Amino acid sequence: MSDNQSSTDMRLRPSGSGLRFLPSGSSLHRLSALLTLLLLIFAFSFTSPAFFTMNNGLTVLLQTSVIGLLAIGMTMVIITGGIDLSVGSVLALSGVVAGLTIKAGVPVLPAMGLGIVAGAFCGFLNGLVITKMRITPFVATLGMMMIARGVALQLTGAAPISRLGDMFGKLGNGSFFRVVEMQANGFPKVIFPGIPYPAVLLIVMALFGAFLLQRRQIGRHIFSVGSNEEAARLSGVNVDRTKIWAYTASGALAGLAGMVLMSRLVTVQPNEGVMYELDAIAASVIGGASLMGGVGSISGSMIGAFIIGVLRNGLNMAGTSAFIQQIIIGVVVIGAVYIDQVRNRN
Amino acid sequence: MLDVTAQDAPLVQMSEIYKHFGGIHAVEGVSVDLYPGEVVGVLGHNGAGKSCLMRILSGAMLPSGGKIYVNGEAADLRSPQDAKHYGIETIYQTLALANHLDAAQNLFLGRELKTRFGNLDEARMHAEAQEALRQLNPNFKNLKDPVAKLSGGQRQVIAIARAIYFQAKVLIMDEPTAALGPSETAMVADLTLRLKNEGIGIFLISHDMHDVFDLCDRVMVMNKGRNVGSFRIEDVNKDDILSLIIKGTLPDGWTPRGASK
Repeated sequence: MSDNQSSTDMRLRPSGSGLRFLPSGSSLHRLSALLTLLLLIFAFSFTSPAFFTMNNGLTVLLQTSVIGLLAIGMTMVIITGGIDLSVGSVLALSGVVAGLTIKAGVPVLPAMGLGIVAGAFCGFLNGLVITKMRITPFVATLGMMMIARGVALQLTGAAPISRLGDMFGKLGNGSFFRVVEMQANGFPKVIFPGIPYPAVLLIVMALFGAFLLQRRQIGRHIFSVGSNEEAARLSGVNVDRTKIWAYTASGALAGLAGMVLMSRLVTVQPNEGVMYELDAIAASVIGGASLMGGVGSISGSMIGAFIIGVLRNGLNMAGTSAFIQQIIIGVVVIGAVYIDQVRNRN
Repeated sequence: MLDVTAQDAPLVQMSEIYKHFGGIHAVEGVSVDLYPGEVVGVLGHNGAGKSCLMRILSGAMLPSGGKIYVNGEAADLRSPQDAKHYGIETIYQTLALANHLDAAQNLFLGRELKTRFGNLDEARMHAEAQEALRQLNPNFKNLKDPVAKLSGGQRQVIAIARAIYFQAKVLIMDEPTAALGPSETAMVADLTLRLKNEGIGIFLISHDMHDVFDLCDRVMVMNKGRNVGSFRIEDVNKDDILSLIIKGTLPDGWTPRGASK
């Protein structure tokens, strides 16, 4: 998936006329991140024989899809020079909205749509607070993080919403090309587990996100706002609208990630998704996005998300405790940013 | 004082412009006009209100009062887009370029060329930018580099190319040579004269008396937010202007010095 993504990105960029053999800047960062990812996969293949298998590969895809979806929106926000701390809570609130709507008798698909709209609305509010009230993104989205979580808990009384029907579980548990054979003894045998819907959704959204960032005016404006907000404004870029767009996209993707996560559990958990924003930020930063704005790519963030996903999965399989995992991921985040800074200084 | 022979309507006429920030009066009832093919120097101390006045004309700032006429019609400049719509382009002291984007991306920022499907037309933007930049500076090669890597002169060329490409009728140059070396300064001066000869009206904000006397047809001096004098450049010398900038008045016993009778 990550190979795919990065080569697509290469294609999206205008073909260089001069010397382009040596990757420079952000593409070098992406290359080193990709190398790190391959190294990790290689290393974990030795520590656990079950790691490098089809089934486990698909599991990693499934597990990473939620963080990956969040990271797409987070990357756009980070490129504008902002940050979105509210995605974990917005994810939960979107799930709650969808769950309650289904309970009210609405079919699953429109209910999920409403959940995503709720997420987008939270993001839109973030954008309004940041641009119109001129509150820094950190504080504005920190507030939204608490507000969305509070609303989710209040609406449900902090209790999970279950018995949402089989249809609700389809998005998170279904898969394409699943091949099951009935055996002679009457038990089914899974020949190919199938490509999970969430993984396909992630690929589609990542490609779409990269397309918007590289090929559309809104993407160009997102980069310009993060690079030099005043210059963008004076050049005629509508800075406020661009920022609101980015936060709304982040909120909508958080809503979509919420649908995937809750669907996988076939239950809506109002306290789900705590600290997910930090994983999404870590994925973007590992993938080369700069918190100063103006730099970042969807392909990089996807590699970052998979580095975190593979680390978690591999360490789990190697029997490393959850506490040690946190330490390792923390070290990886600092290391990735440090290496980037050292390189930029040269 | 102003003895411009009434030929055409002025390209730009700013009339009784006021700008207040709370209790601070940055611009107080300033009027100024600009005709096609002339360079008007806007001079004054830091904080005299000249940048403020020009920001109002470029749509980056809203005036507290006053009227702006472009080609004789009242113009409401509420945003940089509005000003660009009237052909008013600005080259800022800070150059106003996005460092992470390359030359073509900066040149077309906010006015990107698109394909039929609404995608960015990178190939066309690149070709057009290359053409526009080559006209100004044949040595401009590294179009693909982020502008952070370019020299001050190259960055200035991008800013000027942007104004020319979009067919500016009025050009505001806010200390265009402040960040440049001597040869680059000469290049910008050449360009300024070329644009003037093409009939573009130019407001030049500058602290450099050389530039002012080399390039300007008229000067307007601001002091504490007021217009303290507008002159044809032949009628004043360096000392007169310095006196206006510093004291806000002309030297005692001043009479027009130049050719005008």
